[in-house]
Amino acid sequence: MKKINIENKEAKFLTRIADTSLILGQRNAELCSNGPFLEEDIAISNISLDLFGRAEEIYNIISKIEGGTHEADDYVFFRNEREFFNIKLVEQPNEDFAWTMARQFMHDVYAEFLYTQLLESKNDEIKGLAQKALKEIEYSLLHSRDWLYRLGLGTEESNARLQEAFDHLFKFVEEIFAFDDLDKEYLPNCGELQSQWNKEVNRVLSEINIERKEYEALSMRDYRDGFHSEHIGHLLSIMQYLPRAYPEAKW
Amino acid sequence: MEATDKVWEVFIQKKAGLAFKHAGSVRAFDKKMAIQNARDVYTRRSEGRAMWVVPTEAIVSVPLDNSDAFFDPADDKAYRHATFYEIPDGVKHL
Repeated sequence: MKKINIENKEAKFLTRIADTSLILGQRNAELCSNGPFLEEDIAISNISLDLFGRAEEIYNIISKIEGGTHEADDYVFFRNEREFFNIKLVEQPNEDFAWTMARQFMHDVYAEFLYTQLLESKNDEIKGLAQKALKEIEYSLLHSRDWLYRLGLGTEESNARLQEAFDHLFKFVEEIFAFDDLDKEYLPNCGELQSQWNKEVNRVLSEINIERKEYEALSMRDYRDGFHSEHIGHLLSIMQYLPRAYPEAKW
Repeated sequence: MEATDKVWEVFIQKKAGLAFKHAGSVRAFDKKMAIQNARDVYTRRSEGRAMWVVPTEAIVSVPLDNSDAFFDPADDKAYRHATFYEIPDGVKHL
């Protein structure tokens, strides 16, 4: 088995962003052919493809920084759990449609502010990527936010299910904003992200009768050190099965 | 989906100035969802720059059992077709 080390500081930072996009793409891809109805099935699959495409472009940039020792596919298929650095929010399962949309909305708001900061990157390739990604994120946000209004203000059951989804997912928000030195080096204004995110999320929640509850902080270690919730292993085993079982497979 | 949704017909314009063409249909509960669904289903390979969605029930169509009387009289009137003069160069999309 290939051993994949990512050495360069910028590459390490970018891996966090690429992995977050990849893992959410994989979660959404689980709904391809399993969506609640045809149109939404295609919408979620489109968003999934956008996320995969974005991740691939970032892995290509990482590969270049690292001197081309590995390709994008190697980063995706030949790293193990502890070598992935996605925010835990995006690995949470598709318990029901409310979970999927709440997770997507929380991610999209984060992504919108994050990629806006990446427009100021000193790396021109990242700058270009951020420009392109922001258009996709804007649409995805339109889509996920719209569903929150429909679910939150829909029936008693849709509201209850959305509340349950948020109750679970909020536990994974705190770490997103616990920036370390590496984040601060490549996102000099990352300190603003938390208040921007809270403002938008709280605004929407207040309009759709969803409560942001206090919760007991979980003793979970940081995603930046390769720690995960229990769900990542199953996700990776499905995502990585084919190229590991058939290393010569081409697609 | 629930009984309260309905079918919408989707029309897409490829470029400014061209006619809107029927692309297909989607199911949705309201205008906003209809246009978003249509965007996702019919414009994912950059098929267009503008789009209409129209509730199918708003479209008036010729009942099939009337179609003979409705269309047949045009069959022997070849002069109604613009085939008797040459189209000047430079005229597109006629």
